[in-house]
Amino acid sequence: MPPDHTAAADNTGTPSPIFAIQKARTRFFGLTFDETIRVFFGGNAFVAVIVLALITFFLFREGSQFFGQNRDSLRTYRLAGLEYVDIIRQQEEDHTALTRYLFDIRLKAVVKLTEEGVDAAEAKRRLAKFDDYAERYGDTIVPVRGLVSELTEVATDIKTRYNENEDYKVARQQFLASGMKAEAEAIVVKNLDFSREILAITGTFPAYEQINTEYAEALKAAIAELPVLPVPELQPRLERFRELNREYLATFPTRTELLKNWNNNAPVGWSESFTQFIFGTRWLTASFWQDWYGIIPLFVGSLMISAIALFIAVPLGVGAAIYVNQIATPQEQKLIKPAIEFISAIPSVVLGFFGIAVLGQALRALSQWEALSWVPGFPYSERLNALTAGCLLALIAVPTIFTLAEDAINNVPRAFKEASFALGASRMQTIVRIIVPAALSGIVSAVLLGLGRVMGETMVVLLCAGNRIAIPDFTAGITAFVQPVHTMTGIIAQEMGEVVRGGIHYRALFVVGLVLFFIALLLNFLAQKIVRKYRISIG
Amino acid sequence: MDTPAATPASRTFNVPATASAADGAQTLIEIDSFDFYYGAKQALFDINLRLADKRVTAFIGPSGCGKSTLLRCLNRMNDLIDGTSVKRGNVKIRGIDIYGRDVDSIELRKRVGMVFQKSNPFPKSIYENITYGLRIQGVKSKARLDEVVEKSLRGAALWDEVKDRLHESGLGLSGGQQQRLCIARTIAVEPEVILMDEPCSALDPIATAKVEELIHELKKQFTIIIVTHSMQQAARCSDQTAFFYMGKLVEFGETRDIFMNPKNPQTEAYVSGRFG
Repeated sequence: MPPDHTAAADNTGTPSPIFAIQKARTRFFGLTFDETIRVFFGGNAFVAVIVLALITFFLFREGSQFFGQNRDSLRTYRLAGLEYVDIIRQQEEDHTALTRYLFDIRLKAVVKLTEEGVDAAEAKRRLAKFDDYAERYGDTIVPVRGLVSELTEVATDIKTRYNENEDYKVARQQFLASGMKAEAEAIVVKNLDFSREILAITGTFPAYEQINTEYAEALKAAIAELPVLPVPELQPRLERFRELNREYLATFPTRTELLKNWNNNAPVGWSESFTQFIFGTRWLTASFWQDWYGIIPLFVGSLMISAIALFIAVPLGVGAAIYVNQIATPQEQKLIKPAIEFISAIPSVVLGFFGIAVLGQALRALSQWEALSWVPGFPYSERLNALTAGCLLALIAVPTIFTLAEDAINNVPRAFKEASFALGASRMQTIVRIIVPAALSGIVSAVLLGLGRVMGETMVVLLCAGNRIAIPDFTAGITAFVQPVHTMTGIIAQEMGEVVRGGIHYRALFVVGLVLFFIALLLNFLAQKIVRKYRISIG
Repeated sequence: MDTPAATPASRTFNVPATASAADGAQTLIEIDSFDFYYGAKQALFDINLRLADKRVTAFIGPSGCGKSTLLRCLNRMNDLIDGTSVKRGNVKIRGIDIYGRDVDSIELRKRVGMVFQKSNPFPKSIYENITYGLRIQGVKSKARLDEVVEKSLRGAALWDEVKDRLHESGLGLSGGQQQRLCIARTIAVEPEVILMDEPCSALDPIATAKVEELIHELKKQFTIIIVTHSMQQAARCSDQTAFFYMGKLVEFGETRDIFMNPKNPQTEAYVSGRFG
């Protein structure tokens, strides 16, 4: 018999004692116990979102001012005439490269002569004429070089005075801000008149023109009479040298034109600041001349190491995943799975030690082994290089790739496998034609996440990559992979501790961090998208 | 379906020692004293059965009675499960023991195809699904593959429905079409025996009717063994029926006899729907 609660509600509004559904609850800060728990768990869950947002925000805040500072830096570079000097310096550097080409020919000649059994003294005698020629060729640049070093001093002087002045201005502002008027007055700010100062540099243009004409004449004369080498095989290389010189000479008029029209007041755009970073091939800091923040050498280094790591880790990780999931006996599974997963537990700094102490040494010894000399890039002498770091990073990527790829393979419905067997397919045919294709998108996303892991790894690359900030010489082909490189992660870890907070270098490192952040974001996004697609296609 | 209302008192519990194929058809599969284990658990007890060539045989019985296990023993699909073993007896197809030492289970499965309970086309095109069995045998000729695709799809009564979209995914077909695609895929390799493990249990009545119709057509060429939970289905499409209970073969005979005049009271109880 249900209680007559309508009657109870009607007379007083108080709940009927029979239909007692209301209950006093303990409240914490106005929340019931259930709500408190809900808030607690919800808070935990949202912490991740908040932290991600904060990280993004601060990376942007610290990094965003870089492009402005870089623009200022580039403007000073132009205003103080450093750019003008660098245009002429480029000419000198090109000449140095050509001289090196001559030396290279000589080295080859000596090697050839030694092979023929000629002793050192005799070889030197036979090459005397060539050496004489090389020396004369090398000397042709001397006047240009003199002018460059002169101008370098002038430009540096302008830049130093300008920077000092800027510092004074800042100091003065600070004094004024803290109300120390007398100290502020004491600082004398002498604004530089760049258009007047620059005359000391651009005024040398007639002198340059004259020097340049003489230099061009000397070069023409030099290539008119090429020396005869005692090794006839190398003669075509001398012809090539002449060709290179002709090309070099052809650049002279444009250069002169460039100098003539050069204007220290030409505006520096945002795009220039941006491209100097994104496409800049120099990462040059704390230089007396000009700092350059170009990410390309670091990016290329990261990319090369990742390529090596994936080249090794993808077959290992995916192969192991296929084996463990499809072929291995339960005992083997029990051994292999924990072993691979344990690798990811090794601290990367320990792996770095292993790389320095064992792997780097061992790989170099291997490369110097006679029987392997056919391998491109072997033998090499740098113990720490992209290859060493890449091999170690492969070790770090394998657990990620293995675990995720195994998951993907495991998710292939058993029905596919049974159907394949029922049609008379062997185990290998089933794996290759059915299971791997069905799991392919999962495997691809595993590889992408492995790549993300490798790109973000810092300690190993810092310890083992060799840390030379330069784009490896790709003209020698695959040898580039055994050259030392530096990475985006490595440079941040290495330089962040030494930079002035808020300075351009500091900001540049943050922008590198931003680039890394976006690469990670992109890789994860792609991986998730691919996996989602895969789920739909199976379901 | 007409079944006797009550068990005649004269019937005794009598497991036939050997059930033989009726009306003189040639015997294809001989199962003798067959014991099968999952690990330590015995799943099949002393099965003796003779199955005739070019006939449809239905395996019926309640869940867990061993009918699917026996079916999967016929093409050694149970080999894929760890810990299974044949402890006694043998299965011969055309006189050859399929658990014999020199038997290659891959070759066996080319001759004994299988259609599963849940349709399982590969995540490939219809064309690739059909040609898979031939491609793994190394057939490359485009003309031959095309011919087999058409023949198999016609054989599975699917050609008219899919001929314009052979290169679309097999997963885009309806459930009934998918199951017929699986049948087409099986007949493409021209096996002698087709094992069907509850092929219609996931299908609606119309799709079921189409598959049953197809079974009638297929038995002209193939020996078919079908496991089913549906008594009506067994009655409709099989020539002979075997009733299993608790891992044992209880009764085997012409389908008409099993349903209209069962010798065993358990069979009678099952087919009349009193248990199972």
